[in-house]
Amino acid sequence: MVSLADSGATVAPKKPTRRAGALNRFLMIVLMTIVAIWLIVPFSMAVLWSLVDPETGWNYPDLLPPSLTHLRWVEVWTTTALPQAIANSYMLAPTVAVVTLILASPTAYCFARYDFAGKGLAQLATLLPLVVPGFVLAIFFSSLIFSLGIYSRFLSILMAHCVLFLPYAIRIMTVSFGQVRQDLIDAARDLGASPLAVFRAAYMPALLPGILASLIIVFIQSIEEFAIAFIVGAPNFTTIPSILYSYLGYNFIRPNAAVVSLILVVPNVLLMLGLERLLKSANPAQTGVKG
Amino acid sequence: MTALRSIDVSKVFEDGFTALADINLSVDPGEFVTLLGPSGCGKTTLLKIFAGFYAPTTGRVEQNGADVTSAPPEKRDTAMCFQSYALFPHLTVAENIEFGPKQNRVDRDERLDRLNELLRQVDLERHREKLPNKLSGGQQQRVALARALAMRPSVVLFDEPLSNLDAKLREQVRREIRGLQRKFGFTAIYVTHDQSEALAMSDRVVVMSGGKVEQIGAPEEVYQRPETAFVADFIGSANLLPFDRVDDHVVETPLGRLTVSNRPDPNARFICWRPEDAEFGVSEGGNIVTSDISERAYQGAYTDLHISVAGAPDQRLHWPGGASCVGQSATFRLPPERIRFVRGEIA
Repeated sequence: MVSLADSGATVAPKKPTRRAGALNRFLMIVLMTIVAIWLIVPFSMAVLWSLVDPETGWNYPDLLPPSLTHLRWVEVWTTTALPQAIANSYMLAPTVAVVTLILASPTAYCFARYDFAGKGLAQLATLLPLVVPGFVLAIFFSSLIFSLGIYSRFLSILMAHCVLFLPYAIRIMTVSFGQVRQDLIDAARDLGASPLAVFRAAYMPALLPGILASLIIVFIQSIEEFAIAFIVGAPNFTTIPSILYSYLGYNFIRPNAAVVSLILVVPNVLLMLGLERLLKSANPAQTGVKG
Repeated sequence: MTALRSIDVSKVFEDGFTALADINLSVDPGEFVTLLGPSGCGKTTLLKIFAGFYAPTTGRVEQNGADVTSAPPEKRDTAMCFQSYALFPHLTVAENIEFGPKQNRVDRDERLDRLNELLRQVDLERHREKLPNKLSGGQQQRVALARALAMRPSVVLFDEPLSNLDAKLREQVRREIRGLQRKFGFTAIYVTHDQSEALAMSDRVVVMSGGKVEQIGAPEEVYQRPETAFVADFIGSANLLPFDRVDDHVVETPLGRLTVSNRPDPNARFICWRPEDAEFGVSEGGNIVTSDISERAYQGAYTDLHISVAGAPDQRLHWPGGASCVGQSATFRLPPERIRFVRGEIA
């Protein structure tokens, strides 16, 4: 019985491999097509909706809008606070990303490189902001901010976003700090490196992908965040999502919402792609002692 | 003057584990000293104390007569070769080798001179612009060695540098290390658990067990004149037998009454003889032992025979011929001068 099974295992694979290869390729193509449709269709819908001519509209059963115009773009740009909102958002998000990274790093360092009593509990506690719904947090956070006497809207949202997105940064940086090799730290010190040189030689290459990933994720989270930015910031401090949400609900205007969502999404996508590139080239030889 | 010296060094870790107890070791300039012992014997801990990564719990470390106990690794004139090689993966071979001199602000011309000379020495000139992960294990080991030597250290500390290499390569790199040591004249402290490495490379071997030094001596000394049962058993293979002293030259053992030429040490617990000490083809005179053979294993150059007698299970001897010409029993002579007395316990 055993020998039969063995011979089956060693002889059989030869033919099915080729067939399995073709099947794999086929499934891969199907999957990629589905993913592409999944991503492209909503995106093109947004583009089309943003170009719909207000005169003719886009109604059933038309598959495509009967005529296109850029009037909506002009309208949104000139009649709302969008330019200011873009400036606000793009000032806020990078600051949040950097501050969050700086705040997260010491905690992540401890989680990754030290063992202490209550470490598991502490790690769980740092995930708490993920559990609390944004609006709940926003409502109470705004009252806290005012009772603390902090009236700068930018600073308030900055603080709130940092708290909200710390879990991501801590999680990512903990993994990164865990990948720093102790033997490289020792080797650098043994070769006479100053603390800064040790950081550059032993820490930085292992941390870089994590730093970039944390910056991207927090940046995108911050730029798309609505609840806190709206409740704490409105009406003086507008961000792009605040404008987007103003076209939803009672005053539902789909074409204008499409314009704002594109303004929100396109730079993010480009940023993602750019940083993905950077990530790949950041560290060609991170792993590995070859035998 | 000693190159490196530990005085009553002991190390107790935070969890209460005593890794080293009262280690006194003096290493002369240019000497090649091996710390040999099983894992957990404290040899790597001692090396890291010499490198400056650990501070000893008690005791002092001196380098060239100066107290360096509290000097950090970056301030010590030692360079370490790591078991994992610890090459910077994002730096090329040349950049790795230049790392130390750069940190120490060696000027550019001098740095390049050292780099070129070392690359030639370790035969890696063709690989200077490669990243470490493009090299084989042996090549990576040589880069690590060159990187340590680029510091022009007076002491090089080796932490089981060959344990990730296959047997053949190990022997080659072993010879290269010895060659470089003779050429550059550095003092070497070499940690290993491989007794043949220790015997082949060292001027002196420090045999360690359980955080203590068992014996310090030249390779021939620790092999031929082990002082403790542990040393006898750990280096090579040894047959250890309990004994009763009859007089200064005769002992009673499970193999019978044996004449010895060494005086029984009053603290000795066992007699010790090595498998290759047995002389065959002699059946007259004293110290003749005859015993049934319980097991045999052909080893090429000799055949490993196991004999068992009451009170002495599993004694081993080397029969210099093939396995087929051995009978059911073995008769051999134990030369009196080869029988040693050892202290300590059988592990």
